[in-house]
Amino acid sequence: MWFISDENFKTFADEISKEYTLYFPVLKETRYNWKKYQKDDEISLDGFRTDLPAKYFFYATQEELRQKEKTPFAVLGMRACDLEGLKLLKKIYLDEPQDPYFRDENLIITADCTDCGENCFCTVLGKKPYAEDGFDLNFSRTDGGFFVQTGTQKGNALIEKLKELFIKATEEHKYSVSRRREEILKKVSEKNNNQEIVLKELGEKIEKNREVFEEFSKTCVSCSACTNICPACFCFFLSEGAKGKIRYADSCQFKGYARVAGGANPRKELAPRFKHRFLCKFSFRPQMQEYTGCTGCGRCIDGCQGKIDFKEVILKVYET
Amino acid sequence: MKPDPYKPVKAEILDVRDETPNIKTFVLKPEIPIPFKTGQFIQFTVFGEGEAPFTPSSSHFETEKFEVTIMKAGRVTEKIHGLKKGDAVGIRGPLGKGYPLNEFEGKEVLILGGGVGMAPLRSLLLTLLHEKEKYKRIVLLYGAKTPDDIVYKDEFSNWRKMGAEIFQSVDRCETGKWQGKTGVVTCLFDEVKLNPEQGVAIVCGPPIMMKFGTLKLIEIGYKPQNIFLSMEKNMSCGIGKCGHCALGKFFVCKDGPVFNYSEIKDIEGIWE
Repeated sequence: MWFISDENFKTFADEISKEYTLYFPVLKETRYNWKKYQKDDEISLDGFRTDLPAKYFFYATQEELRQKEKTPFAVLGMRACDLEGLKLLKKIYLDEPQDPYFRDENLIITADCTDCGENCFCTVLGKKPYAEDGFDLNFSRTDGGFFVQTGTQKGNALIEKLKELFIKATEEHKYSVSRRREEILKKVSEKNNNQEIVLKELGEKIEKNREVFEEFSKTCVSCSACTNICPACFCFFLSEGAKGKIRYADSCQFKGYARVAGGANPRKELAPRFKHRFLCKFSFRPQMQEYTGCTGCGRCIDGCQGKIDFKEVILKVYET
Repeated sequence: MKPDPYKPVKAEILDVRDETPNIKTFVLKPEIPIPFKTGQFIQFTVFGEGEAPFTPSSSHFETEKFEVTIMKAGRVTEKIHGLKKGDAVGIRGPLGKGYPLNEFEGKEVLILGGGVGMAPLRSLLLTLLHEKEKYKRIVLLYGAKTPDDIVYKDEFSNWRKMGAEIFQSVDRCETGKWQGKTGVVTCLFDEVKLNPEQGVAIVCGPPIMMKFGTLKLIEIGYKPQNIFLSMEKNMSCGIGKCGHCALGKFFVCKDGPVFNYSEIKDIEGIWE
């Protein structure tokens, strides 16, 4: 475990950007968004998750599937919720046969949340606003700099390479970080009235419930904002056209999504289609891929035109 | 670069046969052999136009070339029907899991087919007949809407000679030229004596036929785990990534397309 001062952090970003295209979150008014790093950009890792998930660094919303030169990229300041989503995406895309277009030549540097967004609810799912594994490096804000943990060989090698920027972390740093983590965990929990659910029970309850989905789907317009903005949704459509194979991000919320040749469609009705998303996230994916398809980031609540509160839906199902 | 599972292998159309007014069988020779197991499927690319999934209809013992039987049902199949002998197409595959033939060995095998659903079943039937000594009995019950809708019309007598017991029906016949049984395919259960407790049954056809066919099999005593269904979904990537063919927790393209009924019977909307 290491410590990097605020001063050295600036050099660290410059060094990373020599080898990788570097993306980091910037604050615009009250929200965060991704920016490509250019020399002299100020990087702060404070705050909470960005509006757009990090998943679109790993695959594009629309791309021609042909060999092209890949440029390695680094994401500095990815939050735990995005990293959770990425675990599922990797399971899907990199399971045999591997998707050769999924960009896994990358460097993932996560950062602890220091604030809670309006709709963040990771704690309701028993998840935390800081990452504990799955990153190359994790940065935790502390006095005068960051406490740095390594999660992979790649992370270790990077520290080794830039070792003049780091010092060994002290017990004080460690203590300070655990205090800060307790605080942010408390903040997110309190924001969510300290509610917490057992995921396995939720999956079973979703399977049995019909009424809640019928009620909440009434204002759904099947626009697909929720799935597009979700860090764990992975669906796409593989198309063949004049340019060969093109992959488009797709959504189970579109009416034609499950339609087969001849017109049969198991999810032509709104309520079952709406429910399918919850089933996929809390029942199907945990059973088949061992990861929950929801990370509690709350982006789908931000993005919903029908003002459907995803958290409210699962809590209502859970309490029924 | 890792191997690209989205890139089709080029194949030449060696022959096109008309089965019915809207169903054709295409004989394909891929540049690199595609050694499929019966029941697995392929993605058929019409270059620049589209791609759609089909299950080969030929025996898996035939490896140099294979056949697919395709009904005109939408945009891509209409393009496919416009293809001719000598045209080049693309094939991705083989994809998914086929019929578990080892589970059929030593047993009475009942094949229940409807309409163009006979395509994968023809592959199965020919594959079984190739090693017919491995199976106790091979019975085919096949129904079509009208006599004109029967696929592989000229092949049934040959299959009988090869050792299959075959019973056929049509839902209706207005021309009077049909000598056989009239009624939905399940009426054929009255024609044949079966041993459901020891047998396996394989079903493929339009959703309504699969539903009532399966329910009938259960009713007469087939065990759910001994009924095998070829599920039709809109497979897009074909390799368990794009999510289109979701059937409950399964991706039909990867976990299927062949399922035994006990695996999927509790999933909502399986027949839709």
